[in-house]
Amino acid sequence: MRPFLKVLFLLAAAAVLMSCATQHEIRILHVNDFHGFAAAYKPYGSEEDQGGLAYLAERVEALRAEKPTLLVAAGDMIQGNNWANLFQGKSSIEAMNVMKFDAVVVGNHEFDFGQAILKERIEEANFPFLGANVTGLSQLKPYIIKNLDGLSIAVIGIVTGDTPTTTHPKNVSGLQFSSPVDTVEKYVRELRAKNDIIVVLSHIGFSADMDLAKKVEGIDVIVGGHSHTKVAKPVVVGKTHILQAFEHGKVLGVLDLTVHNGSIVRADSRLEPISPTGKENKAVEAIVAKYQQKVDSFMNDTVGESLVDLDGVNVRQQETNLGNLITDIMRKAAGADAAIINGGTIRTSIKKGKIKVSDVYAVVPFDNYIVAIKLTGKQIRETLEHGVSAIEKGEGRFPQISGLAFTYNRLDPAGSRVKDVFIGGHPLVADKEYTVATNDFLAAGGDGYKAFGDAVKSSKDYAVIGGAMKGDKLVYSNAGKWLRDVVIEFIKSRREISIRVEGRIREVK
Amino acid sequence: MKVYVNDREFDLVQGMTVKHALIDAGLLDMIKKGKKVYDEMDNEIGLSGELTDGAKIYIR
Repeated sequence: MRPFLKVLFLLAAAAVLMSCATQHEIRILHVNDFHGFAAAYKPYGSEEDQGGLAYLAERVEALRAEKPTLLVAAGDMIQGNNWANLFQGKSSIEAMNVMKFDAVVVGNHEFDFGQAILKERIEEANFPFLGANVTGLSQLKPYIIKNLDGLSIAVIGIVTGDTPTTTHPKNVSGLQFSSPVDTVEKYVRELRAKNDIIVVLSHIGFSADMDLAKKVEGIDVIVGGHSHTKVAKPVVVGKTHILQAFEHGKVLGVLDLTVHNGSIVRADSRLEPISPTGKENKAVEAIVAKYQQKVDSFMNDTVGESLVDLDGVNVRQQETNLGNLITDIMRKAAGADAAIINGGTIRTSIKKGKIKVSDVYAVVPFDNYIVAIKLTGKQIRETLEHGVSAIEKGEGRFPQISGLAFTYNRLDPAGSRVKDVFIGGHPLVADKEYTVATNDFLAAGGDGYKAFGDAVKSSKDYAVIGGAMKGDKLVYSNAGKWLRDVVIEFIKSRREISIRVEGRIREVK
Repeated sequence: MKVYVNDREFDLVQGMTVKHALIDAGLLDMIKKGKKVYDEMDNEIGLSGELTDGAKIYIR
């Protein structure tokens, strides 16, 4: 009897050991839509400092020490804040190398500096950039296989098919963006049987991630980005866990998985708030500080010289030379017939003499970008009417214009003040369409400017063909470049600025 | 694209964000007053979050 018990005991012990051997505890740490927000900041409407890359990095280190871990990013890491933009994302990559990222999916804003720069950033990175649904950029890998605690983990990367509509067409020239769903389906079919865990690193937005999970079986985890969604409560569709970690490094996503015999038997996810308290990672802090010093220094750089005072004070009452300069630059950048902005876009003047970067940033401080939309002559007139409808109050809606000239009478009722309107030197034709550049704020209906939104509303669905927008009403949109940076480039190219008021807006009685 | 803010329909240029929807709805100031934006599943979303056609967002 005793030998029999001994055998039973040994068999039981072997079973327990076997069970332990096939059970794995692994962790996935994730961020998305960092956009170069390396320093902690107070988000709009908040009194608390949030984020801070060095603090996030320290937390990553601590969590990584606890169990086998993957650190991944779901796109839009190198563009957005000055800390990243001024170095075309090089600063972000340097910090991410130190943090030992395992993989990053390319986000739509990764294309904003052009393909040549993106290739440079990918070469500098010690981690792979993924983009399974992008063809034409060989530096992007469709997926990677990582081995973690004996588990084989396939990470597939996908980016939004809308990318060509959110950046300058030349940035995506020659590239094709395929359907994320079809792409993932294809790679899951290829990878599912050979790997223990399938992770999709996605930059298509939370609702599209939900849709993907419904349509494609066999995905264990979707780590998402693009919609800046704070997925605080775990979301599971079928057997797919869907995650996203808000934006700007304000939280760190943590997913703990228990895998038994190749199946996930437990998944615990959470978002850890990041703020500038506690320990910071010294190596990352040094990188953050190094590039911030360069940003500060860059603000003092001279970009050109103005031979005249540039008037940003009277932009809410009359045509000014600074209004003319900014709108001329916008019209040329968009290749439009005309440009219209509200005077409120321009916040201050520039004195005659050397122009520093900080001067331009003070004039156009907001994160606005250039958009061009087809308006009819009637809509242009309505836009100008709106612009002069509250002139007596000195409101920011007063227009600054390029490619146009008009007269108005402030004594007439609002809505019928605009008289003669010329575009390109010719009388405006009410039912003819013209391309008009503006900024995204006005295009979204800001300051009561409704014509741009109305035009978009009347637009038929447009398509993206060969990386270029074939739009009905929207003809230009460069969300990847702030207006202030376009202005700086222009001044640098001209070196000397001499512009005057030339009668584009004239008051008559 | 059409997006919905507190169930009101707005038209935006493709690629625009939560911030643009709030500008169009005239509700951006609500954020300054401490309100936050949520999606249909009650997840908070950032102002720079990119919207897709048919997106529904709510301010609370």
